[in-house]
Amino acid sequence: MSEQSLVMKALTDVTLKRRSFLKWSAALSGTAALSGGLSRKLGPAPSEFARAAASEGEWITAACWHNCGGQRCLLKAQVVDGVVKKVKTDDTHPDSIELPQIRGCARGRAQAQHVFGADRLKYPMKRKNWAPGGGKKELRGRDEWERISWDEALDLIADELKRIIDTYGNEGILEVGSTLGGVFTLLGGAVRPWGTTSWGTWYYTGDIVGLGDGLTNTTHNDRIELQKSNLIVIWGGNPAWSAQGNNMKYFLDAKRAGAKFIFIDPFYNDSAMILADEWFPVRPATDHALALGMAYTLITEDDPVNNPLIDWDFLNRCCIGFDADHMPEGADPKDNFKDYVLGTYDGQPKTPEWAAEICGLTPKQIRYLARTIGSTPKVSLLTAWAPARVNDADSWPHMFMTLGAMTGHIGKSGSCTGVSCWERSADGGPFLIGAGGAGNPRVQNENAIRTQINNGELWNAVLTGQYTAGYNDVRNVNIQAIIHDGSSGLNQKVGMTKGIEAHRKVEFVLSINLFLNTNSKYSDIVLPATTQWERYGYLKGNRDHLIWARQITEPLFEAKDDSWIAAELAKRLGLDADLVAGLPLQQQIFNQLAGAWVLKDNGVDRENLLTITAEDIAEMGVEGEPQEGRITLQEFKEQGIYVVPRKDGDNFGYIALKDFRDDPEANPRKTESGLMEIYCPAQQKMIHDFGFTEVDPIPTYNRPREGYEDTFEDWENKVKGEYPFQLFTIHYRRRSHSIFDNVPWLREAFPQEFIMNPLDAEALGLKHGDIAKISSRHGTVIRPVFITERIRPGVVTLGEGAWAEIDEETGIDRAGATNTLNGAYTTGQGHQGWNSCNVKIERYGGPDALEQDYLWEQRIPIKEA
Amino acid sequence: MATQKAFYFDASACNGCKACMIACKSKNALPVGVNFRRVLQYGGGAWVPDPEYPDFLQPSGLFAYSLSVACMHCQNAPCVNICPAKAIEKRDDGIVLVDEDKCIGCHYCEWACPYGAPQFDADKGTMIKCDFCVDLIDQGEAPYCVASCPMRALDFGELDELRAKYGTVSAVAPLPPADLTDPAFVMTPHRDAQPVGQGTGRIYDDEV
Amino acid sequence: MNTREWALVAFTILAQMSVGSFLVLGAVHFLAKRKAGEAEADRLSDRALLAIGPVLILGMIASLFHLENPANAYRAVMNIGSSWLSREIFFGVLFAAVGFLFAIMQWRKLASPTVRIAVAGVAALIGVALVYSMARVYMLPNQPSWNSAATPLSFFATTLLLGALAMGAAFSVNYTYLKARRQPALQTQSDLLRDALRWIALASIVLLGFQMVIISADLVNQSAGDAAATVAKIGEEYGAIFVLRVALVFLGAGVFAFFLYKNAASAAKEQVLANLVYGAFALVLVAEVLGRFLFYATHTRIGI
Repeated sequence: MSEQSLVMKALTDVTLKRRSFLKWSAALSGTAALSGGLSRKLGPAPSEFARAAASEGEWITAACWHNCGGQRCLLKAQVVDGVVKKVKTDDTHPDSIELPQIRGCARGRAQAQHVFGADRLKYPMKRKNWAPGGGKKELRGRDEWERISWDEALDLIADELKRIIDTYGNEGILEVGSTLGGVFTLLGGAVRPWGTTSWGTWYYTGDIVGLGDGLTNTTHNDRIELQKSNLIVIWGGNPAWSAQGNNMKYFLDAKRAGAKFIFIDPFYNDSAMILADEWFPVRPATDHALALGMAYTLITEDDPVNNPLIDWDFLNRCCIGFDADHMPEGADPKDNFKDYVLGTYDGQPKTPEWAAEICGLTPKQIRYLARTIGSTPKVSLLTAWAPARVNDADSWPHMFMTLGAMTGHIGKSGSCTGVSCWERSADGGPFLIGAGGAGNPRVQNENAIRTQINNGELWNAVLTGQYTAGYNDVRNVNIQAIIHDGSSGLNQKVGMTKGIEAHRKVEFVLSINLFLNTNSKYSDIVLPATTQWERYGYLKGNRDHLIWARQITEPLFEAKDDSWIAAELAKRLGLDADLVAGLPLQQQIFNQLAGAWVLKDNGVDRENLLTITAEDIAEMGVEGEPQEGRITLQEFKEQGIYVVPRKDGDNFGYIALKDFRDDPEANPRKTESGLMEIYCPAQQKMIHDFGFTEVDPIPTYNRPREGYEDTFEDWENKVKGEYPFQLFTIHYRRRSHSIFDNVPWLREAFPQEFIMNPLDAEALGLKHGDIAKISSRHGTVIRPVFITERIRPGVVTLGEGAWAEIDEETGIDRAGATNTLNGAYTTGQGHQGWNSCNVKIERYGGPDALEQDYLWEQRIPIKEA
Repeated sequence: MATQKAFYFDASACNGCKACMIACKSKNALPVGVNFRRVLQYGGGAWVPDPEYPDFLQPSGLFAYSLSVACMHCQNAPCVNICPAKAIEKRDDGIVLVDEDKCIGCHYCEWACPYGAPQFDADKGTMIKCDFCVDLIDQGEAPYCVASCPMRALDFGELDELRAKYGTVSAVAPLPPADLTDPAFVMTPHRDAQPVGQGTGRIYDDEV
Repeated sequence: MNTREWALVAFTILAQMSVGSFLVLGAVHFLAKRKAGEAEADRLSDRALLAIGPVLILGMIASLFHLENPANAYRAVMNIGSSWLSREIFFGVLFAAVGFLFAIMQWRKLASPTVRIAVAGVAALIGVALVYSMARVYMLPNQPSWNSAATPLSFFATTLLLGALAMGAAFSVNYTYLKARRQPALQTQSDLLRDALRWIALASIVLLGFQMVIISADLVNQSAGDAAATVAKIGEEYGAIFVLRVALVFLGAGVFAFFLYKNAASAAKEQVLANLVYGAFALVLVAEVLGRFLFYATHTRIGI
């Protein structure tokens, strides 16, 4: 059956009004374009189309709500008779450095193709060969789908949850997402995954050693201060790909203000392409070794008078553990960092030569980096979370902080050390504006179980029934239901091949989603949820702006809000449905608006952002009190955004840790000593207590699992092993993690290419555009080869988040989902080690061996006539 | 000609994000395979042993930059001259437009254009291309691509004024030499820009 | 190569073959008339003349497959002032019309021979203009592999080579037909056929030489310029086809033509001559199709 008739069928399932609406939406936003120009053929009668095309309609602020790592940008949708005609970005005010327009990225501009995708889930569905208890479990992922009613779906789910809890207890249920969190809490709890994802090891280590995690606690300066740096080091970061929107522009502003840029990265990435004055192609997962080589240079070459490279004042006043004279009480003075670097007691000086063998930069380059960073007055020493998303990388944030502390680039104008990434990329500091709370009552249950399983052990725990609960604490668990309530956990956690096995073992898998994504594909029942465009509203902002997005369209097909789904399930399970549902969304939005605040010019006090009148309250149909604020609610509704203007010398500037540097006793860090702890027993204990691996109290180098060294069969004699390449996985422009992977426009623009160096390609007989077969110890993918000098030899990369398309016969994933390759390990703080995976590469075929994925059939599940 | 509308592009600011390309697709409801504005990545270089440390490979002469390219609304537009159906015309303000009602779909303009601007609309069977957002231009607003750019790498205006503001460069590799069609285009080259026609690099995103 | 480009291969080859056939037919008729009088000359060429029309029509139908919007096809001649493509279509249609007019006049013996010769002359000139326009269509400044004198020269070589061999084949078919119909006084026709085939064979060999010079000069010329990529592409991807194309044309217009020449000059049977000329025509036709395929498949664009 052709794609066209499938969509036709889907479209006839709704009322006439809805049908014409959807057809037009498809036509106008080009959503069904994948099926060969279907949109136009399906489109409304020409006269109707022409009338809509000519109509101006209304511009409505549209949500862009994803975990994209970007700026939190403004989108506006042109809505004509409820149909989205096109999408634009911020034009609410003239653009300037002080008051920038908050411009969106390619993904946001393609949002209409996402919301109105021909592959949206249209109604609840059940796997044909599923029955309570699991049915033919092995058919998950390849079974046919049957449409069912919401009542049938919710009854089946409620019955199955009850049955599983009765049989196996609450530990029989694994809740991977969160939208049914209230239901499970009231129901006595469920097993939940734990472990950091994006942060890598910054999540726990960042704060415990005295720096910050980089999101809730930023230690990089704000974007105006950034412009005062002489040198900006971006170590393992690519904001052009992973923090889209304005963030890259803020870096460009700094470059144009005179800052020099150094990039330390295996990839001469698109950020480096614009910004870099110098590029240092370090190997993945070897940053720590490089930093130690630099530390050695700083220590051995520093001369406080003639060649001051080390900020002794800062080290002595603000840190402990750097040298034997500054160790905490009770610690062995020999365990200090300086002597470790010099190899005083372990016999291995961490010389640039030692580091070079691991990290791939020459000793000369390592010394140059140390001298340059050490001797330049104002340096923003920035990293992203990527180098910390490496197995056994728990001491890396600690090392990075130590390097910043040694060079003293902390707490000064134009100088800072820390994580600059995600939505905080290039702009640190506390928020200048924010929304109020939604006011929902907390769903609590003291008796609920609190079992948590680390991400790296999750699928293994399902398969083997065992997990690590702490040091020397392995426990049993019997999971029989996997609940994907608003997550993409199967696709997005390490060890997907094991994950699929796990999904085929349990008795019940539920997925609530917009699409038949990887989770949904391997589920028994899928429920269609609404997007933010189908809901009353959404508030989101960043440091200096707040956006109020409003409803664009009615829920499509039979899609329902997550809160409705939770409440309906709660009813069937005899729980408090009102509590689970929370306040009506209108009221929640009102509460956030009424509570919205903005800093006054003094930079200290807050005032209400909005003036709200009794008429506004009546119009919204909510409960509340009128109030005075900076702008009117109607103005905010009209504009959709409020941006706090910035200028140099205003009271909104942020020099991270300045107060700490000035007076560490009065402004202690959140460490045991209140100082930056280069010797940090708390870090050692924390890692020990997780029960996976151990670290030292000082940032020593830990050889990572599947790092560079593991590409060798015999590291000492340099004999390469079966998996000789290092693959690191990048945030890819097509997607926000796995979201948007199915959007045809974005697939076309960003082809999920496998990036490698020409020297490696030539040795393997691969040409640009050929299809490569990439295998790790854990799985195999095929993707087109993109040959570029921009990546260092021996290192390859692929974007994370593609929706796995695993061939049932061969097990080969043709989409190139990186978690097919990344194995599940548990190291350190239970983070996921995505940025060094050992792989081998073979030629799979010529360019014709794999069709470009924008031409693939969309996942439209029901294929009946 | 009285006036000539033109695009400006800053290659020193473009990070290849393709927001312009997708914004354009949204504005014009273009299907996959049809792109009025495209973003190319050009690069080259080599990896050679470090002179002091021969075991270490180092990049040598490495460069990469992105170019965002749409119809150049050329002053000497070959498409206008060669279209057998007189379906392509240049307005008084220099904007080159395809009249879809007149087009016979022979793709000849596609051959003649060195910028790959004419695209084929499979549904209508005609050629289509960037129209400089005439509907917006005529109302004094910016084209979608220009207003979309997160890096502020695009601008538009009268060619004379853009030249006065940004200089007169209108080609770097891999763009065709400017004297071929006299494009209504001004650009700021990337710091590693390569000369036209020397073949020092290659378009990375071809064929993948 | 897609359907649209194959349509162009068919159109250009067929149109050029019909123009070439018309020119060759005129020359043969002229010479035959001098030797054996109007009636015998007509007897040799009139049926062959009728074959040309369908070939041209076929070519023009093929050209429509190149258009995505054939409903607007009439608009293709709207830009005669500046578009060689318009001129090509214009001369194509005009050639068909005047050629058709001449064919009717010749078939029905309307008007005087002088008038008919004048009409034929006009048609021939239009045909030459058509082939020239066809070449100019490809001579675009951003298409360096096409934008050289080699394009018109090789188009004309194809025109004459295919025209000559097509007409040689047509004369042989005509002779076979006459013989089958047991028509009287075949000796004169046999003599004329031998003469014509001898000249056609000779012309083929000369044209082959000419074509080889163009091909090699073009390769040398292009390998240093903007179209170097075309030469590289021929070398890397299409080497086998290129070699086959050269081998086939050499076999057809060289070896077969040589034996055709030798046999036409001796007392060999007409059937032997016929087989040789059919073979030469078939070989050269395939070679020209391959050559034209390469023309499209390996072209180089300046720009992006």
